[in-house]
Amino acid sequence: MIGLWDTSGNEVVKALAAERRSAGGLASGLALTLVAVVDERLVREAEAAATIAASAHPCRLLIVVRADVMQQRSRLDAEIVVGGRLGPCEAVVMRMQGRLALHAESVVMPLLAPDVPVVTWWQGAPPERIAYDPLGVVADRRITDAAQADQPVQALHVRADDYAPGDTDLSWTRVTPWRSVLAGAFDAGLAKATTAKIVSPDTDPCATLLGGWLRARLGVDATFEKGKSKLMEAVSVSLEDGGTVEVIRDIDAGTCLLRRSGQMDQTLPMPRRPLGEELAEELRRLDADEPFASALGAATDMTDLSTRPNLRVHVWKDPALAEQAEPANV
Amino acid sequence: MTNPLRDPQDRRLPRIPEPCALVIFGVTGDLARKKLIPAVYDLANRGLLPPSFVVLGFARRDWGDDDFSTLARRAAQEHARTPWREEVWTRLSSNIRFVGGSFEDDAAFDQLAETLDELRDSAGIPGNAAFYLSIPPKAFPVVLKQLSRTGMADNDKSGGWRRVVVEKPFGSDLESARQLNALVDDAFTPRDVFRIDHYLGKETVQNILALRFANSLFEPVWNANYVDSVQITMAEDVGIGTRAGFYDTVGTARDVLQNHLLQLMALVAMEEPTSFQADAIRTEKLKVLNAIVVPKDVKEDTVRGQYLTGWVAGERVPGYTEEKDVPADSKTETYVAVRLGVQNRRWARVPFYIRAGKRLPRRVTEVAVIFKQAPHLPFQPADVEMLGNNQLVIRVQPDEGVMLKFGSKVPGTAMEVRDIAMDFQYGEAFTDASPEAYERLILDVLIGDKTLFPDSAEVEASWNVVDPLEDAWIGSSPEIYRAGEWGPRAADQMLAREGRHWRRA
Repeated sequence: MIGLWDTSGNEVVKALAAERRSAGGLASGLALTLVAVVDERLVREAEAAATIAASAHPCRLLIVVRADVMQQRSRLDAEIVVGGRLGPCEAVVMRMQGRLALHAESVVMPLLAPDVPVVTWWQGAPPERIAYDPLGVVADRRITDAAQADQPVQALHVRADDYAPGDTDLSWTRVTPWRSVLAGAFDAGLAKATTAKIVSPDTDPCATLLGGWLRARLGVDATFEKGKSKLMEAVSVSLEDGGTVEVIRDIDAGTCLLRRSGQMDQTLPMPRRPLGEELAEELRRLDADEPFASALGAATDMTDLSTRPNLRVHVWKDPALAEQAEPANV
Repeated sequence: MTNPLRDPQDRRLPRIPEPCALVIFGVTGDLARKKLIPAVYDLANRGLLPPSFVVLGFARRDWGDDDFSTLARRAAQEHARTPWREEVWTRLSSNIRFVGGSFEDDAAFDQLAETLDELRDSAGIPGNAAFYLSIPPKAFPVVLKQLSRTGMADNDKSGGWRRVVVEKPFGSDLESARQLNALVDDAFTPRDVFRIDHYLGKETVQNILALRFANSLFEPVWNANYVDSVQITMAEDVGIGTRAGFYDTVGTARDVLQNHLLQLMALVAMEEPTSFQADAIRTEKLKVLNAIVVPKDVKEDTVRGQYLTGWVAGERVPGYTEEKDVPADSKTETYVAVRLGVQNRRWARVPFYIRAGKRLPRRVTEVAVIFKQAPHLPFQPADVEMLGNNQLVIRVQPDEGVMLKFGSKVPGTAMEVRDIAMDFQYGEAFTDASPEAYERLILDVLIGDKTLFPDSAEVEASWNVVDPLEDAWIGSSPEIYRAGEWGPRAADQMLAREGRHWRRA
């Protein structure tokens, strides 16, 4: 590990090259660069998650921590880890203060591994517009987490409004186990669905997305019922022939109960996955996620999601000038 | 009816089989304990089994469901690849049944049929079942007869699909393979027969097709204009272990050449399939298997070997004829090297050197495509002394990956060119632990995907290659090699005669 204090972007590039050389070509087959935009208080959590994800997808991990954007003096501190505690990845943790934080891409761009996909992940509340963050503009795939916003469901609508192919959200990742069980139940060739009901707190964006998915795939509008738990608890789908399919989650036991009319109840595994495993699921596919677009579109009544251009152009937004009218230049 | 919740673009949702039962015959055997049961647990742990899934064991034991469940638990705990999760096992074990009896016992098979029928109501399994015959081939006829007699092999009668899985050996020559195929295809319909060649379940073997047909870089040079020769190696450092009784009657050629190595060769040499459908791939594999030519002079272009006592991995090991249960005058080979050709325009005059053996220095399976030397070298001969042929090596196991070897200038003032290697290791680019071959194959059987399973025509075509060799070897004695050596000297001489040498794998 190398620590660099009050340093420059060039020094970081040199130190990373030196560290790679002394590690003897470790992680030479990098599959992607993962840029993590992280709040200072979440750095350790992000590192832990990235370590799990990196064990499935060796990557170059660039953690960017922004602080004190309004401060006039800029400062860059960097920490370089190749192998070792972060698993089979090479990582640079960069803390940027002052105006530099608004130009993080000037430090990050030379550190991107050549010609492999870039994934940017916001560990924290999702940005209002991804185009405001140059680190989101360079990415081929962008991972947000609506659940970390103050108003998660509202944040999902903002994401839909701002959506471009290649965007994804971890609340969608968290719906995958539910979708697997439901799709498995429908493999048995069930009758047409008529209604659906989701039991969930009204702050869980997963429920919104599951409802959107059911609407997009089955053409039923789900009704929502407020549950007791802090997470989505159950979903049931009624069928034309009078039967129902119900999935009830037991979060503590890490299982769910699949209840189908005329069949024995089944208990299936549905453990709560650590953040790192969810991140790993996201890194498995690096192309645009069409089913997410249609589920998000159906959940938010927007129909043009998948036809939007997948390139973004950076929009300059300076928090120091946030109250003023649109500034002309940088 | 198609499932409205399944979208071909939705690649997060795993492929999950329909509700079904897996019936394992010979469930107390090595294969079942070390591979099948652990693979079933791993599949359950990864959430890839359907909500309604039952494992039914059949063996000659006076056991209840619980006894079997205990054995299965121990097997899964010892050999599973994924971490142990009690709740996964609890769920799986509640769906484990056992039926005891010998293969001649009509009552036992009636009971098995009844148990399967009961699952319709008790577990919601509408007649789907796969029968895994993890039993010696000589027991096949009687078991298949029992399955036919009770109607268990009949798709229509059972109201679902009925599939059968057979393991190698697929016969011991063309004649016996034909009989076996006829027998299995008769009891079940041919498309419901799954022949397991576990090599085809390996990630790198499947990657051969991706490497060749997804890239534009390799296919243009993948022919006799550029390829000098191909070497396929399957080396094992272990001896024959406890398989003496079986091994001594077959030998290396029948044991691994007929199936694993010829399948590897087919994948390397085949033409591009019209699609990635199972049938299209099989058509091309069969074409190339039929185009394989055996050497005119078998004695000249094949080598059989047998190991003597020696040292492997720091341990002294006995010679083949000193192994337990091997006759002292055994002439069975534990090493085989053959020079095969492929009769088509792509591979005219390109030799395929194939070797396999026990008690070689290390465990490795690889395919090396060795390219011709550049037609003209504008360098001083001394400068390129260390330059060999360019090579593309596909490592099947261990350290799955692909390596490209080519010449490069040595830094310095002199123009000196030397071979260097560019190495891709699966573990570096994708460390998502590759599933065990059996996991993948069992899942494919339950889903009904036949891409990775050779059919009867392929098996018969492979015997057409091995049979003439075996005929020519009758009465000959194998060359000897010391355990821990790369095979007998004669194998080196076989290549040296043509100005080539074995790659040190």
